Amino acid sequence: MQLVRRGQAPAFEVIYERHSRAAFSLAYRMAGSRGVAEDVVQEAFLSIWRSGARYERARGSVRTWVLGIVHHRAIDALRRSIVHEKRRASDEGLEETFETGERTDVEAARHEEAATVRRALQHLPADQSQVIELAYFGGFTHTEIAEMLATPVGTVKGRMRLGLEKMRHALGSGQVSLG
Amino acid sequence: MNDHAQWNDTVGAYLLGALPPDELERFEAHLAECVTCRHDVEELRSAADALPMSVPSVAPPPALKGRIMAVVESEAELLAAAGRRADEPPETRASAPATRRRRRGLGGWFLRPGVALACAAVLLVAGGLAGALLTGGEDTRTVVAQTEVSGADVRLELEDGRGMLVARGMPAPPDGRVYQVWVKRPGQDPEPTSALWTVRDDGSADVAVPGPLDGVEAVLVTDEPQGGSDAPTRPPVISAPLA
Repeated sequence: MQLVRRGQAPAFEVIYERHSRAAFSLAYRMAGSRGVAEDVVQEAFLSIWRSGARYERARGSVRTWVLGIVHHRAIDALRRSIVHEKRRASDEGLEETFETGERTDVEAARHEEAATVRRALQHLPADQSQVIELAYFGGFTHTEIAEMLATPVGTVKGRMRLGLEKMRHALGSGQVSLG
Repeated sequence: MNDHAQWNDTVGAYLLGALPPDELERFEAHLAECVTCRHDVEELRSAADALPMSVPSVAPPPALKGRIMAVVESEAELLAAAGRRADEPPETRASAPATRRRRRGLGGWFLRPGVALACAAVLLVAGGLAGALLTGGEDTRTVVAQTEVSGADVRLELEDGRGMLVARGMPAPPDGRVYQVWVKRPGQDPEPTSALWTVRDDGSADVAVPGPLDGVEAVLVTDEPQGGSDAPTRPPVISAPLA
């Protein structure tokens, strides 16, 4: 990432190649529309291009950093309300696709990691997975979720924390790597 | 304000991005002082970071890369022409109060509203970035320009090969400087234009881009000394890709 400084477009291109698929997948999951997902990914990567030197290795992998930026950008888009109607009206299926060719092993490993995380989510009590999904993928604040579910904010926050704690135990330390 | 009990359950909502802005700001202030909460955040971060892994894998369209790289390459060339100092954060180039606040854990001076607005280097706070082609008739179309100036909305209206930049919500250029429009052709340094401008009191401006835009891959705007420059001295404030 030290190479992703201003003026070093080829280094940036490598970062895009490595992480754009995960970035687009997340944005698509949140937005529910290819068009909005493309806008979100474009915003996120241009933000990365313009601030690439700020990546802090100590805080996690490049992939985690990139996905964190995509997540924040997608939430911004959701909260600007540009997405809500589109994602409800979207008739696009979330069709999973996998790359073939030389990186098959990497994709296969990621596919397995994805399955592990999905299992961890599915094994949470429904009220905990629900608030986590509404918050993380839906972009809703805890107060919005509390209103939606007619549940006190404190309860919603408690479920979020409990759910994450259980997920952490389920995933185990280091079992699921995002590098 | 080390009132930890009040924040004990907020860690999860924080990691999930579910705090409203005012509460986020207060929690981050608390986080700076509370070892317990920092520990909890770091402990649970791995679970939150794993969530994106659970989504179905979907490939981005190849054209997306083309659009992003067009902007990146044009900015890289512009910056190369601008020289090394253009890459430095504004606070090293101008004396300005640096009211720094991390924006949701994303560092980077482009994402620091306080710095960018305070030094009026115009450069780039987190705001609406977009590059979408909005409308397209036979001879007219509108491109939403890339800008991270908070609250700014800048569009390039194209008609019969000519362009008009329509800006709303733009701050005035820094003292002693003006905005200058550049046109960028593939593989070439940005060409200066005679379009030097500032904004009206309400932050609006309508600026005709001189000359036909045939073969132009991007229209860019930087802030420059009065009278304009032959080569850009700052990174772009606005970038409108035409590709």
